[in-house]
Amino acid sequence: MSFLRINNIGKTFLGERKEKVIALSDLSFDCQDGEFLCIVGPTGCGKTTLLRLIAGLEQPSEGDIILADTVIQDLNREATLVFQQYSLFPWRNVIDNVCFSLEIKKIPKKTRYLKARKFIDLVGLTGFEKALPYELSGGMQQRVAIARALAHNPKLLLLDEPFGALDERTRHRLQEKLLAVWQKEQKTVVFVTHNIDEAIFLASRILIMRDRPGRIDNEIKVDLPRPRDRRSQGFLKLHIKIREILEQILITNTNNQRGVL
Amino acid sequence: MIPIIIIAVWEFFAIQANNPALLPRVGDVVNRLIHPFTDLLNTGSFVRHICVSASRVVLGFILAAVIGIPLGLLVGRYLLFHRLFSPVIELLRPLCPIAWIPFAMAIFKTYTIADMFGAHYTTSIFGHIQLGMLYVIFYGGFFPIFLNTVHGVKSVKHLYIESALLLGADQKKLFKKVIFPSSLPSILTGLRVGLGISWMVIIAAEMLPGSDAGIGYLIIFSYELAEMDILIASMILIGAVGALLSYGVKVIADRTSVWQAKER
Ligand SMILES: Nc1ncnc2c1ncn2[C@@H]1O[C@H](COP(=O)(O)OP(=O)(O)OP(=O)(O)O)[C@@H](O)[C@H]1O
Ligand SMILES: [Mg+2]
Repeated sequence: MSFLRINNIGKTFLGERKEKVIALSDLSFDCQDGEFLCIVGPTGCGKTTLLRLIAGLEQPSEGDIILADTVIQDLNREATLVFQQYSLFPWRNVIDNVCFSLEIKKIPKKTRYLKARKFIDLVGLTGFEKALPYELSGGMQQRVAIARALAHNPKLLLLDEPFGALDERTRHRLQEKLLAVWQKEQKTVVFVTHNIDEAIFLASRILIMRDRPGRIDNEIKVDLPRPRDRRSQGFLKLHIKIREILEQILITNTNNQRGVL
Repeated sequence: MIPIIIIAVWEFFAIQANNPALLPRVGDVVNRLIHPFTDLLNTGSFVRHICVSASRVVLGFILAAVIGIPLGLLVGRYLLFHRLFSPVIELLRPLCPIAWIPFAMAIFKTYTIADMFGAHYTTSIFGHIQLGMLYVIFYGGFFPIFLNTVHGVKSVKHLYIESALLLGADQKKLFKKVIFPSSLPSILTGLRVGLGISWMVIIAAEMLPGSDAGIGYLIIFSYELAEMDILIASMILIGAVGALLSYGVKVIADRTSVWQAKER
């Protein structure tokens, strides 16, 4: 039995004008305990919706999501989601943001600050402990949000394009840090990204989604040895393969649209 | 610049009128103000009257805050409370607190807090805090506090609530650690406006028959005796104290709401 099972789920939203928007349809996949799953796909294909469903923030219109043998019907307490938008509490400084879940668990101040500093250091923001979110750049805020999620230490970590706002070097550094945490803490990670290179570097498996309606188009197991070399033959071959799949999705889309018009 | 012009015009007309019962000289009023502890018309000093008014306001205002903030948090968050309270509140809101004064006086007569506790408190400050006045101050302060709290709660970003829940918060912690701090700037705005209105209402309430102390009472009493210098000095004091109260809340508010002013 797999750790996380997505079972033929569909999600339909009611739009502004009461029209139906089918965000996801007949989507299934399994995820093993300790897997690092990356999800790529064209914009608007329902990646965020999928993560929100797994987190239990919304319920699927059809099908069900099973986590460790229980169907998720309410908030998923095993999971934490790092949102695509900036979600830091603006009235709390960096360290108190990172401490949020530790505070809720009633961990004494000294211990939780010690722990929080470790994660702040991990995302490379030592020295900014007392800064308020508005004093940070978008990329820095996103790194604090990751530290905050890691401090909570969930079994299942959901990340929605967390490194989108970072420059390449910082992005690479954080990818390595995230992998280190994943390996050390035996977490299961579902990571959404637009960046093919990032997906290959991180994932044990990559799911490629297509849109209208959102569903799994393709699945690629990444067997390259870690740490992965971005210039290796295997890496580059995979890169080309995924790029071709994504281009194919876009082409069929435009064709479909032409057919409609 | 403008205050100087006003004072100059005032002094000009005062000299022209040459009648202290109509318009006193600037110097006479200033003279009253620099002797705040001197007894006036056998009713007590400025300081005493201000203290009486202020203690009425503070008590009524605390009452308004203690009821208005929690109620606002609940009405803003839970539909059930919203349905329960909103119709009443919408109906009462347009009713000016001053319109309540005669009614409150009729109901509560001249009952004071001291009467509730026993006769031997009558000589204390509690002997001057009439329940009717307390009621109208409460009423005046309640609406801005309540409505701003509701507004604050309703504008808490959904993203923050979802983040907190996914970081392990339960409903109680959510209130304490997200909904309350996030609506705090709005609550403080409510407190500032509420305090201002309470201060206006008390002056009006003290002008009515049956009152025996307070800066509003002093105004009406000095009017009856044509002591215009005391009357104007009282008005200046009312303005000054009101501004001070408002400033005090603003300082606290600014310190706790930096994040909101700067949020992008
Ligand atoms: N609350 C909602 N109400 C109505 N429609 C919605 C809602 N949430 C999402 N959708 C629709 O569902 C589809 C998928 O949206 P989603 O945000 O999941 O895409 P995404 O893959 O995360 O896109 P991106 O890569 O741009 O972040 C979109 O067509 C969107 O308009
Ligand atoms: Mg998205």
